[in-house]
Amino acid sequence: MIALSGFAMAALGHAHPPAAEAAWQPPPDPYPSTYKPSPAPAIVLTGATILDGTGKRIEAGDLVLADGRVQAIGRAVARPANALVIDARGKWITPGIIDVHTHLGVYTLPQTSLDAEASDVTELHDPDASDTWVEHAVRAADPAFSHALAAGVTTLQILPGSSALFGGRSVIVKPIPANTIAAMKFPGAPQGLKMACGANPKQEFAGRHELNSRQGEMARMREALVEAEEWRHEDRADRHHGHGPHRGPPDDDLKEQTLALVLDGKMPVHIHCYRSDDMARMIDLSHEFGFRISAFHHAAEAYKIAPLLVSEGICVAGWPDWWGFKPEAEDSIRENIAFVDAAGGCAMVHSDIPILGEHLNLEAAKAMAAGRRTGLSIPPERAIRWLTSNPARALALDDRIGRLAPGYNADVVLWSGDPFSVYSKPEKVIIDGAVVLDASVPRRPSDFELGRSILSVRP
Amino acid sequence: MRLLSLLALLISATPAVAGVTAVTGATVWTMTQPQPVKDATILIDKGRIVSVKAHGSVPPDAVEIRAGRRIVTPALVDAATQIGLGEVGGIAEERRGGVSSGPLGAAFSVAYGFDPDDQAVRQARADGVGWAMVYPDESASAPFDGMTSLVRLGRSEAAVERPKAALVVTIAGTQASRVGGSTAAAWQLLRNALDEAKAYRPGTNGGAPRDQLLNHLDVEALKPVLSGAIPLIVNCDRLADIRQAIALARDYRLKMLIFGGAEAWAVAPELARAHIPVILDPLDTLPDSYDRLGVRPDAAALLHKAGVDLAFSVSAQGIYRSWDAGPSMREGAGLAVAAGLPYEVALGAITSSAARVLGLAPTAGTLEPGAAADLVIWDGDPLEPSSAPVLVMIDGEKVSPVTRQTLLRDRYAPHR
Repeated sequence: MIALSGFAMAALGHAHPPAAEAAWQPPPDPYPSTYKPSPAPAIVLTGATILDGTGKRIEAGDLVLADGRVQAIGRAVARPANALVIDARGKWITPGIIDVHTHLGVYTLPQTSLDAEASDVTELHDPDASDTWVEHAVRAADPAFSHALAAGVTTLQILPGSSALFGGRSVIVKPIPANTIAAMKFPGAPQGLKMACGANPKQEFAGRHELNSRQGEMARMREALVEAEEWRHEDRADRHHGHGPHRGPPDDDLKEQTLALVLDGKMPVHIHCYRSDDMARMIDLSHEFGFRISAFHHAAEAYKIAPLLVSEGICVAGWPDWWGFKPEAEDSIRENIAFVDAAGGCAMVHSDIPILGEHLNLEAAKAMAAGRRTGLSIPPERAIRWLTSNPARALALDDRIGRLAPGYNADVVLWSGDPFSVYSKPEKVIIDGAVVLDASVPRRPSDFELGRSILSVRP
Repeated sequence: MRLLSLLALLISATPAVAGVTAVTGATVWTMTQPQPVKDATILIDKGRIVSVKAHGSVPPDAVEIRAGRRIVTPALVDAATQIGLGEVGGIAEERRGGVSSGPLGAAFSVAYGFDPDDQAVRQARADGVGWAMVYPDESASAPFDGMTSLVRLGRSEAAVERPKAALVVTIAGTQASRVGGSTAAAWQLLRNALDEAKAYRPGTNGGAPRDQLLNHLDVEALKPVLSGAIPLIVNCDRLADIRQAIALARDYRLKMLIFGGAEAWAVAPELARAHIPVILDPLDTLPDSYDRLGVRPDAAALLHKAGVDLAFSVSAQGIYRSWDAGPSMREGAGLAVAAGLPYEVALGAITSSAARVLGLAPTAGTLEPGAAADLVIWDGDPLEPSSAPVLVMIDGEKVSPVTRQTLLRDRYAPHR
């Protein structure tokens, strides 16, 4: 079936508060995408080992792409005339990798002391930065985007950081060379809301008399959600009584607008949480206010509460082997991702720092291998979900990306071999049916690289 | 002949077995031969390698461990790690590897802060690390970070073997605010420090010149660096700074290592001529500071081609250096192979050549006769990040695979 977005389905399942009244409608995106897919001929990749992104594996399979979409997948499928045929025998094909947690373009490379003084990762004047949109800070020329693309990443979420309780709105982009964020912005992708619990916000704001405890964090979150809830009802009442048919939301209600979208189930919520008790508290908060959590990020102790996360339908994004670097991460284990997966959960592998976004296939390989060593059966076609269909679901884009099925966006990686091997590399990366990276063609230097002496030294 | 299966060895908590041990059927990288010995028998006696022979016979009284064609390598040698300097990260009072204030600079040694009971030490040993050079964070007297310690991850306990194994200085734009405001000042202060150490005569009544910048602790600590008894490790990435380092080694006749070395490939022949090895991070190929604009994935291959000795240490913004020392080194070595470095050289950069770079005994990091029987039986290609040890042996005795991590794993493993 062409799936409804998992997020939309779940939002229907949690129909609270009553949706009988016309909810406040957000204005059309005032910062619209200008992304245009590159024109491309029909492409047929033949004879590959194909992992479809949902758990299926096809040996010696063909994949047909045209008009930006997957047209057919399988063995001996019909090929359109005039298609570009790519011999993929001995190679592997996966959906484009989706990195559900990055700070590319705001944690911009190279980092400098200017970033240390005032970073674009998170606005930190207030623990509630839900009025901020991270896309308003993204540097399109961050060299990490081209590295991510070369590593097979075709969609990524740029999230604000974890120092604010409400970090602001995320943006979903395609890591293509561009000079504006609008040209990279995934058309029609919903923004997410970044939230954070635990150590980071309380330590960030402890010195500023804003909050300095976990209970303080909860109080500030509840306060903001109560205000947003009231705002929604007031707004509806105004509409109902005809106070200015097009008056629109007042200018100073930007925070409430964001949280109203969350309460209406229209904005996926991504929460930075490490500890099991922190995650459980956030779940209780979501029940109190009737919103749904799309994913916990980092989630070091997710394996301890896997059944709860599964029953709530919350995805979990983690590293395969980060632990110990702070008290909240002390109990993270290498099997975390695999144990969530084994419980039936929506497991994901994320990068968070730019360099890991260059090796998400290996990050998943480590998590897969750790699970296998405990006796779990995790073939590659299962593990690839952690980088494809599962993050697509967390981003509410699972009706468009994350799997190779007819009608889905033609986001594809052609790997030189098993994508979970350190020796394999993406040979071609295809976005919306166009080859946007061909590893056999020298990459045009970016503006950033142009004219740097060290980059013109021939070894 | 007593036959122990790998599984039995893993499950049993039996004490060390006396007598000869034979690891059979293994594919063994001795690191003294360019290719692995296939179907090899490794004979081990009194904690040392006796022999590694293809189809070698097993003495009747030996305990046999069947490796089942698995790959065996020497235990890993980590050329730069921070294990043992904190039970957990992110807490000021658990940072035991630096000097945040006070007079200690070059004289500071991490040996006094190293705790063999830290969970990261036990994890590193279970992950197959046999030797580690533990390096300091920073001191209050930049550019000096202080002295590294060479740590032996013994079967039951890790111990500092050389408390002052090398002196680390960091020359980086990001660190420059701590000293004179620039890397230019850092180099001049470093040269001045070496000059002061040269002129310093301990025990003389006149003492040091009145305007000497270094206190007696730090100036004395520089003596073994000047004599070449221990190397100076220069932590820097920028080509201009690497050239400065080469000049410094030449001017003061220092034994030197470059740590970092993102742009070192651009002067690879000069480094080779000066016998300056590089401790490189093959994972981090992003220009994350202006010092590292020239970083490239084939840096290891280029350095090797020019004849530069290599060791690997992988950072991931510092986290792997303390918390995943073993697996991250292997991943870095695998990535270096993917970028053109010969396999045996990459394996050497985390075993034999790392040992050489650190000045360990000539047999360290190898499985040649007479070497300590420090080895790992792997469940796959050791340079694949998905592989892991099946059995780790140090001094011929099995290392416990149990860590806090595995205990948590076993407590929460899903029912199957």
